[in-house]
Amino acid sequence: MAKTDGAGDSRKPLISIRNVSLSYGNFRALTDVSVDFYQGELVGLVGDNGAGKTTLIRIISGINPPTSGEVYFDGERITKFHPKKAMDLGLECIQQTIGICDNLSVGRNYFLGREPVKRVFGLPFLDKKKIRETSAKVVHEFGLRDTVDVDDEIALLSGGEKQTFKIARAVTFRNRVIIMDEPTNHLSVRERAHVNELAVQLKQQGLLVIYITHDIFQIHRIADRIVIMENGRKVTDVPRDAMSAEALEGIIRDGGRASAKGPKVA
Amino acid sequence: MNVSMRNTVRRHPEGITISLVILISLAFAVITQGGWVSIGNLQSISQVTAVLAIMAFGEAIVIATGEIDISVGSVSGIGALTFLGLAPMVGSGLALLAAIVCGILIGALNGVFVALLGLPSLLVTLGTLFLFQGIGYAATSGFSFAATDSVRQEFIYNAVGGGNIAGVNVAAIWALIVLVVLQLIVFETPVGNRILAVGGDAASSFSRGVSVTKIKFGVYVVSGVLAAFAGVLDAAFIGYADGSFGATMELSAIAAAVLGGCSLTGGRISLIGTLFGAFMLRGIQSFLILLAVQPQWYILVVGLIVVLASLADRTLTRFALKK
Repeated sequence: MAKTDGAGDSRKPLISIRNVSLSYGNFRALTDVSVDFYQGELVGLVGDNGAGKTTLIRIISGINPPTSGEVYFDGERITKFHPKKAMDLGLECIQQTIGICDNLSVGRNYFLGREPVKRVFGLPFLDKKKIRETSAKVVHEFGLRDTVDVDDEIALLSGGEKQTFKIARAVTFRNRVIIMDEPTNHLSVRERAHVNELAVQLKQQGLLVIYITHDIFQIHRIADRIVIMENGRKVTDVPRDAMSAEALEGIIRDGGRASAKGPKVA
Repeated sequence: MNVSMRNTVRRHPEGITISLVILISLAFAVITQGGWVSIGNLQSISQVTAVLAIMAFGEAIVIATGEIDISVGSVSGIGALTFLGLAPMVGSGLALLAAIVCGILIGALNGVFVALLGLPSLLVTLGTLFLFQGIGYAATSGFSFAATDSVRQEFIYNAVGGGNIAGVNVAAIWALIVLVVLQLIVFETPVGNRILAVGGDAASSFSRGVSVTKIKFGVYVVSGVLAAFAGVLDAAFIGYADGSFGATMELSAIAAAVLGGCSLTGGRISLIGTLFGAFMLRGIQSFLILLAVQPQWYILVVGLIVVLASLADRTLTRFALKK
């Protein structure tokens, strides 16, 4: 299918969502959403509860296939939706509610799904030394307490520590895309600032960062572009400079019913 | 409370069972005035423990993923009947193979319903439990299959339950082999890590790229194979089998796993604990026999133990995970 460049942008999108809808039974979680995401861009995906932000992310990260519509990654159409496939394409997602198995150790969680192996008589055994050393280095770099033993079950960590762990894991395995779903939940003020700095750094390193949040004021400071969703539809998609945070907040408050001020209402 | 104690309980859920087994063994030895620890009795306990343990290991792997396999009793029956029914005609080697294939197929059937179609494992495997028990009864219809004298001479027949080594039935050696192999797979390989992860949190595992469907399908096949093999080991030891073969074994297998520290909510298992769980149940059974208690009481005791073990499991998990 010949694809035209979106919205006057001559760059090729890294991820292109075309007319995607998703229904769970009779419930329409997403309706005809089209949006492009570019390399080296920090996009704020904003909207109220139930707007469809997380659902859109679940499609991009391969957890749910769309009911209809198309998803392109680097120009190639995705036909098989599976988180493994998304990870292989270089996409890391910090999910809000999932991503950690409480019963496993910190180290085993860190490498879950991509466990390092050492061959013994040709058989694949876990490389426990590598699991321990690599994960310990990473989580302590990201500021987890020194007393955190990566052999301990991750259930022993606090909510904030778990969130830090997820961020550390996604950032260390970073490749091309990082999606953060409400990454600052459970975090202290200082930690929030740190996460936001990190998002900007990752973008500057050339990654695509999709940042989901409720907080339009927080994201408006750091994002290049803001996408607002409401009731499973994309209602606004503007460069940061095109609208003030207050105007964008107005759109969210009005339930996406486009105020006349909105320059680029989809 | 003491953190290191909590760590110990969390990492070694089987510790309590092993301590209990030692205490109970001492008590049984004293009460029966040495009868329970006589060589003959211990040999007998080792055979029944081994057969139960092999089934319970399969059960434990399924429990690790947060599911359950109630069908193992009748799968062991089908394994036994297939083995003894075919051995006189095709030899024990091919009969063994056929029994294992039956285990694979029944396990795969459970796997299709649970892993692929997402039906509740309790109902699915309860259904296949009755289904294959029914097939077992229908196939024998009042008869029983017995090993012929020539079959009893075959090497394979003796290697899979018919023979002893140093006075101990070979089943005990098989149980140890299965224990070592599964212990390595579950705790030392990527597949094992994913099995435990799926039991801990299936949605999270999936989001990390783990194929929950493949893992769950796989554990049912393993459980089916081990149950059928346990049936073969027991059938070759006893030398005959009828339609009731393996009946209620599923209860003991689940009980052994739970006693051994396997959490029914998934994600936490102990195979060594499961072995001790099996030993405890069979030891109690043997003790009741020595006391000339009616065998029906054994079921009552198993039921009681399962309920108490579940309670202890929850209490201990809460204790171990308290921050």
